[in-house]
Amino acid sequence: MRALCWLWVLLLSSAAMAGASYVALPGGRFVSALAGNRGQAQALTIAPFAMRVEPVTIAEFEQFLARNPYWARDRIPQLLASADYLKDWASPLRAGAALPASAPVTQVSWFAARAYCASEDAHLPSWYQWEYAAAADTRRADARDDDARNQMILSATLQSTGHAPGPVEQDPANVYGLHNLAGLVWEWVDDYGAMFPRPDARDPGQGNSLALCGGSALAFHDRGQYALMMRVAILSTLKPSDSTASLGFRCVRTIGE
Amino acid sequence: MYKYLLALCALCLSLPLVVSGAPLPPDSVYRLPPLMLVDQQGQSFALDSLAGQPRLIGMFYGSCHMVCPLEIDTVKKIQQQIVRAGGKPIPVLLVSFDSRHDQLSDLRQLAREHHITAPLFQLTRVTQGDVGLLGGVLGISWRALPDGGFVHNAVLTLLDDQGRILARQDAQNPPQAEFIQAILAQQNSAR
Amino acid sequence: MKRSAMYASIFQAGLILALGVGAGPAVSATTSRNASIEELLFAPPQVPPAIHRDHTATVVIRLRTEEKEMTLADGVRYDFWTFNGTVPGPLMRVRQGDTVELHLSNDAHSHMAHNIDLHAVMGPGGGAAATVTPPGQESVFRFKAMLPGIYVYHCATAPVPMHIANGMYGMILVEPPEGLPKVDHEYYVMQGDFYTTGENHAPGLQSFDMQKLLAEQPTYVLFNGREGSLIGDGALHSKVGDSVRLFVGDGGPNLSSNFHVIGQIFDDVNVEGGSLINHNVQTTVIPPGGASMIKLTTLVPGTYLMVDHAITRAFMKGALGQLVVSGAAQPQLYQRVNAPAAHAEEMQMKTNDPMSIGKRVFTQICSACHQGNGMGLPGAFPPLAMSDYLNSSPKRAIGIVLHGLHGKITVNNTGYESQMPVFGGQLSDEEIAGVLTYVLNSFGNQGGTVTAAEVKAERAKAAP
Repeated sequence: MRALCWLWVLLLSSAAMAGASYVALPGGRFVSALAGNRGQAQALTIAPFAMRVEPVTIAEFEQFLARNPYWARDRIPQLLASADYLKDWASPLRAGAALPASAPVTQVSWFAARAYCASEDAHLPSWYQWEYAAAADTRRADARDDDARNQMILSATLQSTGHAPGPVEQDPANVYGLHNLAGLVWEWVDDYGAMFPRPDARDPGQGNSLALCGGSALAFHDRGQYALMMRVAILSTLKPSDSTASLGFRCVRTIGE
Repeated sequence: MYKYLLALCALCLSLPLVVSGAPLPPDSVYRLPPLMLVDQQGQSFALDSLAGQPRLIGMFYGSCHMVCPLEIDTVKKIQQQIVRAGGKPIPVLLVSFDSRHDQLSDLRQLAREHHITAPLFQLTRVTQGDVGLLGGVLGISWRALPDGGFVHNAVLTLLDDQGRILARQDAQNPPQAEFIQAILAQQNSAR
Repeated sequence: MKRSAMYASIFQAGLILALGVGAGPAVSATTSRNASIEELLFAPPQVPPAIHRDHTATVVIRLRTEEKEMTLADGVRYDFWTFNGTVPGPLMRVRQGDTVELHLSNDAHSHMAHNIDLHAVMGPGGGAAATVTPPGQESVFRFKAMLPGIYVYHCATAPVPMHIANGMYGMILVEPPEGLPKVDHEYYVMQGDFYTTGENHAPGLQSFDMQKLLAEQPTYVLFNGREGSLIGDGALHSKVGDSVRLFVGDGGPNLSSNFHVIGQIFDDVNVEGGSLINHNVQTTVIPPGGASMIKLTTLVPGTYLMVDHAITRAFMKGALGQLVVSGAAQPQLYQRVNAPAAHAEEMQMKTNDPMSIGKRVFTQICSACHQGNGMGLPGAFPPLAMSDYLNSSPKRAIGIVLHGLHGKITVNNTGYESQMPVFGGQLSDEEIAGVLTYVLNSFGNQGGTVTAAEVKAERAKAAP
């Protein structure tokens, strides 16, 4: 199995299209910080997968738009993006000098993020895949018990308040070789809308109890994961056509499908 | 016959934005990137080829044993109420979000079990394109469970003949009066 | 058919605009009595003026949530999350029976979604459910102010303690139909506890600290979101004989306030902000998420300290404010007859000259480390006497007293690496000018003067 993973990594790196690099994650047993239906801890098995080393950058998204102008802000169908889509870009296809090319692209809707990932033969990660990848630090696959590390992630998240995101890859890589899973930007996941499904919800996130008061306290059995709670809180308020200045994304690929 | 249909579909794909000469409105669901579907009778078509009449649209998955039968039942009740109020049955499209597992044979099986006949009531799966985009615009989301099932919601949406979203209701509830009214209004205005 | 429907609604919209009734969902009556009122909002400690209206109305209130870095204490910065850019958010003022139409917009560059729960609302979540607002968007909801009282509002987005700890709270006053008894001054004070990774007065940008929050051990307990916000230039004012109403609340997230004004008794206190009024109260407890209205009468001139009487918080964590009362002395109410230690205070009140002020401050404060003879302590505290470091730049000393100093310095060929504490919060401009002037002209130093204006100018600059 491991051999297969490494083979896949080799294949991926040799076929590095548009400079995007993915690393393989072994997966395995993982206890999510999110509680199950009855408030219990959820133990999952995450299948091996490959994840993009860093969030998609502005330069990469510009290249995507050049090949797929359907997704430019002056052409994108109304249902797929709100008025905030790429609002700070100088023009529909170019971000302009004010936005650093190596910063993560933000102000992108969930739909646009999906399309980008599809263009790289990839897709958005599920919440569990993202959470599993982000549980690691520079030394350990699961560093979530470390209070100092949790505080550090929280500080990094809060210190980015009020500032536009800087370039990707400025932080040390975690054990898997991934960057920027804490503090730079929020990130879309594939199934955020169904994380807390309400059958009568019109749009994913609407009327969602998790955004409110005690919601997160109920939905998290590991309440030390404050930064994760913040991520879940912001995602749970968004419709797929929404975008914000602090929300970007990265992609994953399934291994051995 | 099949090849002819395929050619027709290719033609349809190349003209996604034009319906009877007029461009689609900006908020039309048919403006989504191309989505190819196949129904329980093996008919292949593009989603946007459905423009031209009002339609109910929803999503399901084949191994769903509670919500989805309820959804189908709700659709049938809606049809009954429309007809009783002097309207005619409205075409219905249900799209599986589990293309991996729901094959043509599964669609056929489901259709037989629930006495569903195309083209009035189509059970479909996606053969090309991103079904997630459709879920996103319809407000339907799903999450795969370890045992192969899904956590999901179920919403029925009324589209006008140009693909604009007019009304919605939870597919697990009995037919809502406002929803029935919206369908009847669409049918009246088309005359 | 659809086209004509569209034209019909354009026509309707035009009609509405032409009539000037406003484009919102219908308040059906169109007389001026029921036209909506735009609420005026002010930065704390100011409040909107009393309501003089004999009928209910629809009041439109516009709030904007903003995440911004501001000063927490001298030399200390913090990333606050705010309503309208202030901590607390503005005090809203409506009349019982009013319909409030609240517009909550979230700044596009916010990282978090925000919402609002107003304790004056009868309805789910106090409005929280209806107002979850992602960055760049706006939500609107309406509620009827059913009951009079002084109520807290706060953000209720998960994780709630963090949103509150970062400053997202304020108050809404619902006046009874007959209004509140008239007073000469009204002010708005809100206490909050703050949790920073660095210890109290560690300089620079501080982060929110989760462990301290969980342990409910704040590094700062402050009035109106900033240490010293109600001191000196920010002090509240009154005159001899005036009545003052304080709207006092506690945002928390965790600590209750034991609110006391040193040297004053409260005539009236609305117990827990409700309709029950207590009289002649010295200290009132305000729970987190609670508020009160306090009426007092200032009878004797002087400076009165507002404190949380869990007194460590007042003198060590910043829960301190000033109410300055001007006017003629009232010896029949308060008179010093024989006070042995009073000469220092008298010097403070009677003597304005810097040397006298400076000598007092030096003796009471500086000598503890720099010693009474200014010689310092070898290996620990540098000398002020005949100090080349001081004499080469007296102006540099202003910044040192205001903001403290760390790191290695060399004085008279000897290295010192101690830490000089921050005194900017404790000493006024006059006191700092006085003590520096005193030191420059004593202990064999080379003379010179420092003025209060120079200290004030230096204070206005950001700390290094």
